[in-house]
Amino acid sequence: MAGPVKDREAFQRLNFLYQAAHCVLAQDPENQALARFYCHTERTIAKRLVLRRDPSVKRTLCRGCSSLLVPGLTCTQRQRRHRGQRWTVQTCLTCRRSQRFLNDPGHVLWGDRPEAQLGSQAEE
Amino acid sequence: MKSVIYHAFSQKEADELDVQHSGVQQAEAFVRAFLRRSMPHMSRQAREDQLQRKAVVLEYFTRRKRKEKKRKSRGLSARQRRELRLFDIKPEQQRYSLFLPLHELWKQYIRDLCNGLKPDTQPQMIQAKLLKADLHGAIISVTKSKCPSYVGVTGILLQETKHVFKIVTQEDRLKVIPKLNCVFTVEIDGFVSYIYGSKFQLRSSERSAKKFKAKGTIDL
Repeated sequence: MAGPVKDREAFQRLNFLYQAAHCVLAQDPENQALARFYCHTERTIAKRLVLRRDPSVKRTLCRGCSSLLVPGLTCTQRQRRHRGQRWTVQTCLTCRRSQRFLNDPGHVLWGDRPEAQLGSQAEE
Repeated sequence: MKSVIYHAFSQKEADELDVQHSGVQQAEAFVRAFLRRSMPHMSRQAREDQLQRKAVVLEYFTRRKRKEKKRKSRGLSARQRRELRLFDIKPEQQRYSLFLPLHELWKQYIRDLCNGLKPDTQPQMIQAKLLKADLHGAIISVTKSKCPSYVGVTGILLQETKHVFKIVTQEDRLKVIPKLNCVFTVEIDGFVSYIYGSKFQLRSSERSAKKFKAKGTIDL
């Protein structure tokens, strides 16, 4: 797969916005409005240009209010058991929307699967 | 009886159990800060009330209102706006110096985007990249404007919405400048470019998706 130039610029922009949101939050932990604005812009760009994002990055953004989730500061993270499985529950404090992730020690990370690695190597 | 249970550690016991013996003041301050952090939606008065008085429950309502699991992953936009996603005035106390690291980040991003400081080739390419690039965190100044009071305003761009730039000046004032009929100057490493605001009447996210055509020269 060729790497189209426009996409690379767009990805750089997304990356920059994400880092900027982190930077702003690091400077001032009380005010999350600006970080939320940046993450909302980021989400709109990704939606408009239909870009695929890595799950680990998607998990730190709230889907409801699109604020940047930092456990302990903007969201709470708890471990729960449900039907014999261990889930991690993340709850955003502003819109009170919760996300659940299955937490299974025997599970292989999906990014490390051989198909995914082949894909990224072919791009390089 | 209380003193038997709630008794501060003596120094010897503290050393033995390897526990920090903090003062009463500090412990209280810690508890208050913790409560403030865990219950942000209650006002300070309500929290103090909870600590001092104990409410007696007279009637018990079993009306359980489920918070609606949003089927749309976006959520209602009107409700979102109401939650003050935009700025409030209090962050004006955050000085201009707090946004300088953001500006440094932006400079690095732009340098990375253009692959070099001044390649001396194709200013058009730089301009094309700037069109798609993100301007949050840039230092912007107004050079020409129909309204003379806007000319010369300089600061770091914090928010960009459809018609407006929000800028923090060096005196920590939040300035809101409309894009219409204004010419802005962006400077990167000695490379100056002018932005005609009238052509930029788009949300910043839409701008990276839209192709621009040269359509007539509009002066101001």
